[in-house]
Amino acid sequence: MFKHLFKLIWKKKKSNFLMMLEIFVSFLILFAVWTLSFYNYRNYSKPSGIDHENVWAVFIDFNTDSDSLKNIYRDLVRQKLKTYPEIEAFAFSSSNMPYSFSSSNNNISYKGNTTHAEIMSVDPSYPDVLKMKLTEGRWFTEGDKVNKIKPIIVTRRMKEELFGNENALGKIIGEKDDKRQVVGVVSHFKFENDFQPESSCMIEPLGGWPSDMLVRIKPGTTVETEMKISKALVQLGKDWSVEIQHLDNMKANKNRIIWVPILILFIVCSFLIFNVALGLFGVLFQTISRRKQEIGVRRAIGATKGHILWHFVGETAVITTFGIILGLFFAIQFPLLNVFDLEAFVYIVGIVLAIISIYVLVIACALFPSKQASEIYPAVALHEE
Amino acid sequence: MIKLKNIEKVYRTSTIETLALNEINLEVGKGEFLSIMGPSGCGKSTLLNIMGLLDEPSKGEITVDNETISGFSDKKLAHFRNQKLGFIFQSYHLINDLPVLDNVELPLLYRSSSASERTQLATEALQKVGLSNRMKHYPTQLSGGQKQRVAIARAIVGRPEIILADEPTGNLDSAMGNEIMDILINLNKNDGTTIVMVTHDENMAKKTNRLVRLFDGTQVM
Repeated sequence: MFKHLFKLIWKKKKSNFLMMLEIFVSFLILFAVWTLSFYNYRNYSKPSGIDHENVWAVFIDFNTDSDSLKNIYRDLVRQKLKTYPEIEAFAFSSSNMPYSFSSSNNNISYKGNTTHAEIMSVDPSYPDVLKMKLTEGRWFTEGDKVNKIKPIIVTRRMKEELFGNENALGKIIGEKDDKRQVVGVVSHFKFENDFQPESSCMIEPLGGWPSDMLVRIKPGTTVETEMKISKALVQLGKDWSVEIQHLDNMKANKNRIIWVPILILFIVCSFLIFNVALGLFGVLFQTISRRKQEIGVRRAIGATKGHILWHFVGETAVITTFGIILGLFFAIQFPLLNVFDLEAFVYIVGIVLAIISIYVLVIACALFPSKQASEIYPAVALHEE
Repeated sequence: MIKLKNIEKVYRTSTIETLALNEINLEVGKGEFLSIMGPSGCGKSTLLNIMGLLDEPSKGEITVDNETISGFSDKKLAHFRNQKLGFIFQSYHLINDLPVLDNVELPLLYRSSSASERTQLATEALQKVGLSNRMKHYPTQLSGGQKQRVAIARAIVGRPEIILADEPTGNLDSAMGNEIMDILINLNKNDGTTIVMVTHDENMAKKTNRLVRLFDGTQVM
């Protein structure tokens, strides 16, 4: 039967080529949409490694360029914040705190391996604020400040990229006066948004300049308390300014940057695919109405309604298969050439979902006209001109 | 072989009712070559369609091979047509996108026969109608007479007991028509195939065993 269908399709290759081309383009569009969606879903479903609920990002402008003054001011702030029972924990941090629009990154190398890592400078109380859990080692403490070699925490991704399967703890990176030693490893740390893949990140003890901080407050803390604390901080120094943002709002903003374009892409693609479906539907209706005599003959010589139905669905499925094979040739290049540095598995899932979607779409479009064809009365079909 | 009892066919629209066949009682014996004649629109093709189980009568009973065809499912009707009946049409009704051999193989496609068996039977059928040298041609590359011979090959490939031919010589000149008629006579005489043929041509009808005439849906002879 397949050979029979193939012969019919081959004879009408010119008209079928257009349909095949339409399926090929649809396949590539769906492949892109599914790959992107799956990639983001997969990242989204992984834990963020931090608890952003009831955490404020406090941005303080000390109105000075002096690092020594900033150190004094920071202590002032620390002392003040300790007086509030609503505050559970707080930590100063470089401005590239989670869900902020700042970034500080660099290439880090170790014995020929290089990774591009985000570098954060934070207080030792940072994990208490974000409720971060280490999978290996320990967090750095105030006592580590006296060491010549800076203790650092790395993400699992950074560990794998720099040290492979080796134990990262105790490993020293950097040269001469700028050495850092890994003291802890954190499995998950999504600091950009919920759709961020596992990334390289290095967390080190606070340097001289940061004046931003993260504050964990007790659940149920009111806006009045927020205003009270903000006011109290402003009054600590001359011409200071304080801005408090909620980390969950910051996260929502960063997430929006990712999912809104995906949603727009999804809507545009849905519209395109809907048009393709309408086109297919029309073409199939026209094809079937042109082939009514053939349907009559087939019915006369022994085809059941089911045979007719599956004949037309089958023909469409064969054309679809050719369109998909053509599309596969291009789609498969993505994992083979490691385009966009995504895991091959993500592309494979994208391909599989695109194939399923195309078949569902095409068969859904073919089913109704084919059903109509199968219902044509043989005596009537044979007399169609 | 085929027995029609009180067959009536009425075509109904919302405003009009047309009686296409009225009280047709006809019996076609095994190995008989019967022709049906009558003016255009008298119901010849309707009668043939009903005999070929392509259409249902509004009233009456059809018996084929002592089996009463009523309440048959679509599947059973299709199986019955595939096994017992062969059709030849005035305008051949070949599938232009398939080569001759594939056109002839078509009825076997709806049976559980292997590809090699199909090819063998189709080749034999084409040999029988003298077209074994045109197997790979497409219908559009053939003359009218050749097309009708392909249609005959398609009708006989499944070795049916009954062939129903709707004006098989209607689109052909007399020489071609005679050639086709000779093939049908041979099938009837040599293979014992029962043939029911609708025709307008008195000369062709004379070559058959029996003639039935219809007028305004009624059997007059």
